[in-house]
Formats: sequence, C-alpha cells, structure tokens
Amino acid sequence: MLVFVTVGSTRFDALVQAAISEPVLSTLRNSGYGRLVLQRGNSVIEPEEFNEESTIQRHGVDIEIWRFKPSIYAECEQADLVISHAGSGTILDVLRLGKPLIVVPNPTLLDNHQEELASALQILGHLKATSIQDLASTIASFEPRDLVPFPPFDGTKFSKLVDEEMGFI
Amino acid sequence: MSNCATILLSFLSFFCVRLFFVIFSSRRIRLAPANPRPSQTCSIAIFLGSGGHTTEALKLASALDFSRYSPRTYIVSEGDAFSAQKALALEHVKATDHVFSDDQPQHKLLTIPRARRVYQSLLSTPPDAVKSLLACMYLVSVRPLFKKGAFRQPFVDLLILNGPGTCVILCAAVLLNRLIGLPSPRMMYVESFARVKSLSLSGKLLYHFTDRFVVQWPDLVQPGGREVYRGCLV
Repeated sequence: MLVFVTVGSTRFDALVQAAISEPVLSTLRNSGYGRLVLQRGNSVIEPEEFNEESTIQRHGVDIEIWRFKPSIYAECEQADLVISHAGSGTILDVLRLGKPLIVVPNPTLLDNHQEELASALQILGHLKATSIQDLASTIASFEPRDLVPFPPFDGTKFSKLVDEEMGFI
Repeated sequence: MSNCATILLSFLSFFCVRLFFVIFSSRRIRLAPANPRPSQTCSIAIFLGSGGHTTEALKLASALDFSRYSPRTYIVSEGDAFSAQKALALEHVKATDHVFSDDQPQHKLLTIPRARRVYQSLLSTPPDAVKSLLACMYLVSVRPLFKKGAFRQPFVDLLILNGPGTCVILCAAVLLNRLIGLPSPRMMYVESFARVKSLSLSGKLLYHFTDRFVVQWPDLVQPGGREVYRGCLV
C-alpha cells in the first residue's frame, strides 16, 4: 500500500523528518504500507542526500522524495493514506477524493488556526489530527473505516446566497 | 479665522454623518434588489488574494451561473501569476460547459498593486497601501465615469471579497465611492473555510463594512450578529 506525505507549498521540516524516522517507517511497514511518496515543498531534510529528488529504501519502506509538482491529484488518487500539514486547501482536496487523512498542524505557525480546523474536522469524524510526537502511534491505531465521508462540493449554497443578495430570489 | 474653523467643522461633521449613513444604511435598511428581473445579467468582480484565498474564491465563483453573472472581472495583485492562471483555467472549463450567446468578452483580469507583501517591514507599508488605494479608487470611482454609454453605472454590481490585506483597500475604495454618492457595487465578504473559531484580520476589519458577511463554521455566528452561515461553501 502507498502512503503520501505532503506539506503543500510550506516549509515543515519536523513533519518530513518525522515521516522518514525509524518509528514512523516501522509502523507504516507493520501496517502494510511498503511505499512512501514524500512531497517536501520548501522543507529541508537531514541527511543531506534526502534533499535530492531520490528514491531510497529505509526500514523496509521504499521512499520517493520530491519538492513540487503542478498538481498532487495523481499522488492523492493513488494513495491509500495521506498524511498532510493542516492547510485547508490540501485538507479539502484530500477529503473530497475520499482518501483517509491524518493531519499534523504545524506548531511553529504564529497564528495557529490550522490547529482549530484540524480539531473541528476531527470532531466531525472526517480525519484524524495528531502531533509530530504522536504520529507513529496514530498511524498504528488508525482505522480508515471509522472516518465519516466528507460531503461533496455543493455549489448551490453559495449561488443561492448570491442570487438572494442580487434580488434574483 | 473662526469662520474657517466653522466651515471646516461643518464639513467634517457632514462627512461623519454621511459616513455613518453610508455604513449603516446598507445593513439596516435592505437596499432595493439590484436586479429584480431574472432575465437580466449581473456583473461581478472577484478579488483573488493569492494562494488559498484564490483557490477558495474561484471555488465560490465556479458555483455561480456564468450566463447570469456576466461579465466577470478578476482582480489580482501585481505579480500574482498563480491567481491569473487559475482564473483563466476556470473560465476555460466553464466555457466548455456553456455556449455563450454573443462574442463579447465575458471576463477580464485586472491588476492592482499590493498593499503589503509578506515579510514587508511595517515602515514601508503605508506608501504601498496608499499606492494600492489610489489604484483601487481609479478602478472603482474614476474608470466607470468614463465608460461609454454606461453613465451612473457602478464599476460592477457585486464585489466578492475573501481576504487578505489588499481586499481591505478595495473595500475602502468602495466606501469612499459611496461617501461621495457615486453608484457602487454591493460587497460580499466570505470568510475562509480555514477560520473555525475566530475571524481573520481582514474579516474583523470588514465585518461592519460589507453588505453581506458570510462565515463557513457555526462557531463564528454570534447571537444577534450580522454574519450568515450556510455550511461549508467551498
């Protein structure tokens, strides 16, 4: 199975570092994930050679690393699990694709409303929110079947609002 | 000297009363429907504030009936190629869905200077904000006056805003336009889906000044508040 880790256009060193750490990789392998695609955006990884676009094997997981692609749609589509930063755009895209999602809000952000969005969506059962420290244990106990499907995009709500405002309704 | 002061004072108080009227008339007394006949079209402008703001704004735009809401003006900040591209992509997708009746261009892109760049020092912000305000005033107040065959028509019928910074300047330009009594667009602000428990800075600033203020999470609805909540819109 394939897991896709994404940080969007941000820099989130802690998440990419955690994704290739021994505890997370071992947990992934034990949960049946043999492949990891890691989109690191502007994040910097140690050791140095991981910063090249590369394919590496580590702790029994095949890891593919790159920075950006015009669209991450294909990767999300193929993935059996997505682990992401808590950016609202990425969250919406992944949930609308119906993919199991674990989000890790970036604690270093100044005005951390990402945390609020992540926990609000967790309360509704659409995703699992966790922290860098708890990432491995969250993956181990994660049950995609328990998630509540996110409602598809419904344009009529906004178009009705605008029609009301402009006197069409 | 005292005459001067009296005149100045009366001008000032006139503008204060006018400002109060402009702000509160649009919220308390509902304006007459801008467009009562369903057959008519309604021009809109959508501010694309870059990144996630643009993605949400275009998602909102995609929900609209493009044959009714036409022509569409996308306002982007200087140097924001991402937003311009995404707007054109949406128009392209919509054009393949609909067959528009005439050859008139249905959409256009306008660029305004940024009020404040990320990481810009606070000292250099005011001159840029002024430059941005002047550009917005030209767009909202001056340009419509010289438009052929459309005297006393607002710049657009509806302006949709969803942050960040520069959209506040755009709103200020519309308010100034109302202050001097020129025809003005209605303004709708849609707070980002990312704001669950507190409004963004742009949201807080524009809360009292837009005709419709829309939020996407129930916790943002205050008892007796003016915000509208209809669930997730994007």
